[in-house]
Amino acid sequence: MLKPALNPETIRGTPEGLVDFDYMSLKLSDIDRNAVEEAVRLRDAYFKGSKIYSITVAAWGPVDKRDKDVKMAVQEGLAKGVDEAFIVEDDSLTPGDPVTTASAIVAVIRKFNLKPDLVLAGEATIDGFTGQVAGRVAAKLGLPYVSFARKLDVKDGRIVAERDVEDYVEVVEAPIPAVVSVTREINVPRPPTLIQIRMASRKPQHVIKASDLEGVVKPKKKLVEARVLAVKRKQTIIEGKTLEETADKLIDALVAEGVIRVR
Amino acid sequence: MAMTSLVVAQREDDVAEALTIARQVGEPHILVFGQVDPSPLLDYGHPVHHLRSDDTESLFLALRSLYESLKPSIILAPTTKNLKDVLSRVAGLYDLPLATEVYDVKVSGSSASYRRGFLSGRAIALEEAPLPAVLLLAPRKTPRAPKGGAKGTLETVQPPSPTVKVLERRPKERGGVNIEAAELIVSVGRGFRSKEDLKMAFELAEVLGAQVGCSRPIAADLKWLSEDHWVGLSGHKVAPKLYIAIGISGAPQHLAGITDAKLVVAINNDKSAPIFKNCDYGVVADLYQFVPVLTKRLKERLAK
Repeated sequence: MLKPALNPETIRGTPEGLVDFDYMSLKLSDIDRNAVEEAVRLRDAYFKGSKIYSITVAAWGPVDKRDKDVKMAVQEGLAKGVDEAFIVEDDSLTPGDPVTTASAIVAVIRKFNLKPDLVLAGEATIDGFTGQVAGRVAAKLGLPYVSFARKLDVKDGRIVAERDVEDYVEVVEAPIPAVVSVTREINVPRPPTLIQIRMASRKPQHVIKASDLEGVVKPKKKLVEARVLAVKRKQTIIEGKTLEETADKLIDALVAEGVIRVR
Repeated sequence: MAMTSLVVAQREDDVAEALTIARQVGEPHILVFGQVDPSPLLDYGHPVHHLRSDDTESLFLALRSLYESLKPSIILAPTTKNLKDVLSRVAGLYDLPLATEVYDVKVSGSSASYRRGFLSGRAIALEEAPLPAVLLLAPRKTPRAPKGGAKGTLETVQPPSPTVKVLERRPKERGGVNIEAAELIVSVGRGFRSKEDLKMAFELAEVLGAQVGCSRPIAADLKWLSEDHWVGLSGHKVAPKLYIAIGISGAPQHLAGITDAKLVVAINNDKSAPIFKNCDYGVVADLYQFVPVLTKRLKERLAK
């Protein structure tokens, strides 16, 4: 599952302080790179000869405007080792909602009769960061779900994963097929080689409309307003002739702010 | 049929916060899980369902059957990784909207509105979701509901055995810090060239009475410090009155963790580092030279 997510680094506010969505670009969500890398690693180690499919549901519209960014993100997956890509692009499904994304992913899996051994996703995407699509897909497909995996292996036809939760690390074993969400710590994604990048454009890509799919749920949540978080910092640079003088000026500033007290 | 709501949590403070919203929607039920004593929760006056296991699969199975029998209009829980896992599955099964880290929740008629961080902490979104919905609350942002009413009933839940087996649990290594509660934080990043050099930051922290935090690479990649020191979007969100970032460039994910800091000081030798656009006071200097001097001057000047 690959998501072209709003790139938070391209954020800009309107004069009213709202997020200027038109100005922002999309990029492949960071942690999805780890998911592709892990898919390639597992395929080479345990599922030789298997294909790696990617499914992308364009959550941000309008399709005309976003198409280029969406294709770039998908292309990146193909260059990293995905063999065949499915892209659901439809203005009736944007702005998306995880309810829509998950139902569209499941609809693609059913329509194209994909029979995955493993479904991999990043633990969350950099725009919404709710981390819920993988769990939804697992439940809809009736598959076991292993979330926040920071280590993944296959033993005797079952997966063994280390789940990274707040207070402990949990080692779990689940039957295959299963859905797994991975954390950034699971691997270090390798950048694709030039040959891989060139090969990527020749791999099969299917663009699908909502009307081609069955059971896609329309978005439910409504984004009423998105306001740029303006943390106003003073941005004062402190300089002195010597390091001692700089240190003293900094200490004076902290005293004036009331965060420390001196004799 | 009267409307019901469902609260899922492990700790009493999380239950009490969720109940504040749950009571506005319908007759609350509480699902508490794990090896905890559920009896204090009976004082809130609502039915309590207790699941002794706390693995995600068992919790999902228990929730699914509870959802089927209660058909709640809202499910409320604290935002934790295991509850994200479990509730995303419940939401998927019934196509319910779900949001995490929400606060300022308002329920009116057939929908709920709330705010949450968006775009890696760079924006705040106001969203509206039709009921039934699943909301995972940001901790300590909702007032607690008072106890009251006749004592609630207690029922033990026993779901079928899970297909995903927990083989082992290892507690995470802890550095003994509670960075989220720290008033003063000295935080370290990649500007430090070795683990031994962090000693400089610890000395500064000791003089100030501060806790030591760090950026992602120090905890996650280099593992020089345990993860309880990690400040940022995937680490801990902090709210000290003073945050001193040393050798931290200021990646967006790190900045997202310090938006609630009252005052941010940056020490970095790269004057173009993004941290300087996101600090109150900046010192462009080699940390190896400046930090020992700052520590020395503080030692001499600080009030005991």
